[in-house]
Amino acid sequence: MRMYFGITAVVIGLAGPALAQDVQITDGFATANVTVGTTQITISRSQDTNAVISGEFAKTSRPCPEFCIQPMIPAVGVTPVGELELITFLQEKVDAQTGLLIDARVPDWFDKGAIPGAINVPFAALAAENPYQSEILRALGAVVIDGGFDFSGAMSLMVYGNGPWDAQGSRAVQALVAAGYPASLIQNYRGGLEDWLHLGLSTVRP
Amino acid sequence: MIRSVAALFVFAVILCGYIVLRPSGAGRSAPATADMTANSATVTRAAQSDTILAPVMPSAQLTNSAVIQAPRRTIAPGARVPTDKTGMDTTAANVLAGLGLTVVQNPTSANDDPMRAMTAGVLSGIGAVTGKTLTTVNQTPTPATALEMLVVKALKEGQNDAYIDTLVNEAAAAGNITVPEILVTSDGRVDTYVLLSSIITQATIAAGGAAPAVPDRPEGVEVRMVQRATQTEQYRFYTVKRGDSLGAIAVNFYGNVRKYNLIYEANRSTLSSPNDLRVGQRLTIPDA
Repeated sequence: MRMYFGITAVVIGLAGPALAQDVQITDGFATANVTVGTTQITISRSQDTNAVISGEFAKTSRPCPEFCIQPMIPAVGVTPVGELELITFLQEKVDAQTGLLIDARVPDWFDKGAIPGAINVPFAALAAENPYQSEILRALGAVVIDGGFDFSGAMSLMVYGNGPWDAQGSRAVQALVAAGYPASLIQNYRGGLEDWLHLGLSTVRP
Repeated sequence: MIRSVAALFVFAVILCGYIVLRPSGAGRSAPATADMTANSATVTRAAQSDTILAPVMPSAQLTNSAVIQAPRRTIAPGARVPTDKTGMDTTAANVLAGLGLTVVQNPTSANDDPMRAMTAGVLSGIGAVTGKTLTTVNQTPTPATALEMLVVKALKEGQNDAYIDTLVNEAAAAGNITVPEILVTSDGRVDTYVLLSSIITQATIAAGGAAPAVPDRPEGVEVRMVQRATQTEQYRFYTVKRGDSLGAIAVNFYGNVRKYNLIYEANRSTLSSPNDLRVGQRLTIPDA
């Protein structure tokens, strides 16, 4: 599964577009427009068919421990997703304000470039060690009840980090589940910014 | 002769018994009182007598004497106090709110509390997307917890510190309330002294008083110089005593309960959570 996922990303990202005149997301679907809060965002792919990845996201062998290969499902019950599901999530959930795309990386990374429509919720802010964790859970739609939280009205979340080698997304997902957030409301985009960039998809600098 | 020796012995036993069993709060110093003229209301903590005493007690004095004089009573070991993640500021503000005083929590600068700053950033991000006006961290109307309601009720009744200490500890031991983690002492009790002094500090600041000063020479500190290749670094250590809570140690070293996180973060390798202090544990105390 993981291997298939990785190879697909590379093949589509480098070889696929070279044959096409126009680099679309899927056949007949070139641009996604989504309203996030009050701003309009647009997702499309780079039209430069010779574009290749360089810099941080081209590295293959970061040292592990620290940058270890992450599971698709960081916590039981969480749904793994790819780019198309992410775009659909933006169109259906984020646009309707019933879901949030969460960039779980530290602000330094987020500021360098993020998936359009994402908000920065660093994994450390979701951890139990954050004394203000409950404020964030409340903002996500949890309701304080006697001795805990009621998550029945909580938002759907999709979480990502830097890529398959980066634990920030996994840690955010695990912290949410540990805090009682229903895993059924959480989706995990393990590919993260790395896979997103490998497909030439739009990023924004907040 | 034997009779008088026996009589003396009995007297000594009775005296010892009295010393051991008398109410533990009896030795406490002056009552802490904050005059809230700004809000035209008065917050008081009565001492052993029920007299309500006026002017503001210097908060520095309060923090300096904090750790050692806090009322202690031993309970059976092994009891586990139920904790929650409520911050000390929130708890204190809610107690004051319960007494009819609105305290705008003093916004901590990002340097003081990076987690607060990070959380505030996250909340504004979520607010921008959801379109809902979210309460920020600094003015969150968190609903009062059972602990807060208990303390409010006792303060309204004019109960003294020792009474509140017993009340809170009995409720915690029975599992009826949860308390902020940093109030849990090394012997598994609730440090009501830090709780009460936080309330007074907030009330004092709200009334325009000065923030508590940092103690000059904290109790029980061990300073060690470490020679490095380029420079000499100074490290401070503190050995946890019976009855210490992380909040009390933060008050002792920094004069501010909020800074407990500095100690917690510096000791994460040996401290699994803020309520996990053990007697004899050696803590690194970073510079504020």
